[in-house]
Amino acid sequence: MVDSNSVSGKKKPIQVEIFPQRVLMPDTAEQLLNAIDKVQGVIRMVIQGPSLPNRVACGPGAGTPVNHPDRRIINVSGHAFELNIRLGRVQVEIEDRSVKEKLRQAVDEVLPFPFEYREGFFIRRKATLTDYAKYGFKSKTDESINLDDERLLGLIDPKAKAKDRICMLEPTEER
Amino acid sequence: MAYTPQYYPGSTSVAENRRKHMSNNVEKLREVSDEDVTAMLGHRAPGTDYPSTHPPLAEMGEPDCPVREIVTPTPGTAAGDRVRYVQWADSMYNAPSTPYWRSYHAAINHRGVDPGTLSGRAVVEARERDMELIAKEQIETEMTCPGLAGLRGCTVHGHSCRLQEDGVMFDMLDRRRLEGDSIVQDKDQVGVPIDRKVNMGKPMSSDEANKRTTFYRVGNVAFRDDAEVIEWTQRIWELRSVYGYQPK
Repeated sequence: MVDSNSVSGKKKPIQVEIFPQRVLMPDTAEQLLNAIDKVQGVIRMVIQGPSLPNRVACGPGAGTPVNHPDRRIINVSGHAFELNIRLGRVQVEIEDRSVKEKLRQAVDEVLPFPFEYREGFFIRRKATLTDYAKYGFKSKTDESINLDDERLLGLIDPKAKAKDRICMLEPTEER
Repeated sequence: MAYTPQYYPGSTSVAENRRKHMSNNVEKLREVSDEDVTAMLGHRAPGTDYPSTHPPLAEMGEPDCPVREIVTPTPGTAAGDRVRYVQWADSMYNAPSTPYWRSYHAAINHRGVDPGTLSGRAVVEARERDMELIAKEQIETEMTCPGLAGLRGCTVHGHSCRLQEDGVMFDMLDRRRLEGDSIVQDKDQVGVPIDRKVNMGKPMSSDEANKRTTFYRVGNVAFRDDAEVIEWTQRIWELRSVYGYQPK
């Protein structure tokens, strides 16, 4: 997820990871993501967890629809997207260290159980060789990566399709 | 004096539970009908005959063999049943059985079984009606908490995942789920829907699971808490590594 309201080239962004004691049901996941998005200074975040597949992938029942009731549409800041994982951890890039404590408080209010909260480097910022292979150079003279928004780097696996995996959250009026 | 097997050393609750599983001295906690077990296993439709791979042994005219005279065949073997499996995944978060203990339970207490143990699951193969007996025994007793263990023929992922918010082990194929205060299963082992909702009963509370588990785990009963287990583990390690496991 990318928050296009919080772009800053001057401050030094840091990254934190929220690791709850339990994997989250969709209602709590929705509340958590909305709470994180409301914090001023969030640039982008990655959600991870075990997947909820559409169909049985292997075994004698391969191809049978799973119809998992928790694979459903959730709403984050007015944007609907399908949550196809059981949310296990959230990695968030924030503008600077001053946002860290506000974010922790926001998460603390939503999660009904303990969580780990740690700073580290989780989402890469520089393009890799694979990114260059995928996106190419801007031009023959400009060898920077051919991406309009470099915040997209590191959000998904380079070989994955971006469609349905990246959600751009537009700025809202009250901000 | 009659010999009493000493299955496992140790004085902690985990050691005691391990002895219970191995000796089949387990408490029955719930009732699941034979038809429901058959439906959940998914090898044949409930109520149908057992398919066979060979005629009943009594009709086959077996060769003259002293071993065959000594060993009574299991009911499944005598009838010529197919070999089928039951497979379990047990959560690392204090599920009652560890994969090894399901295998020990089957291998020690039942004949004609082929248990297989992997890091996160335990499979037992046997003649179909013998296997159903073992599966029913494990489903109905304290060897299983429906919230922390599941029948999973494939896609076993979940045993090492954190529990869900509702305290149930994650299952990506949604074979069973918490409905109200009971676990309900409406798919077979491999994720194919069945024609019924099987009520597996209430999942164990966290305290009860801690009491009945066979998992050593920091935060409950750690492996290092039991001096006798440590002593025997080290002794067996020493015997098998230094002497090639040939105690004389």
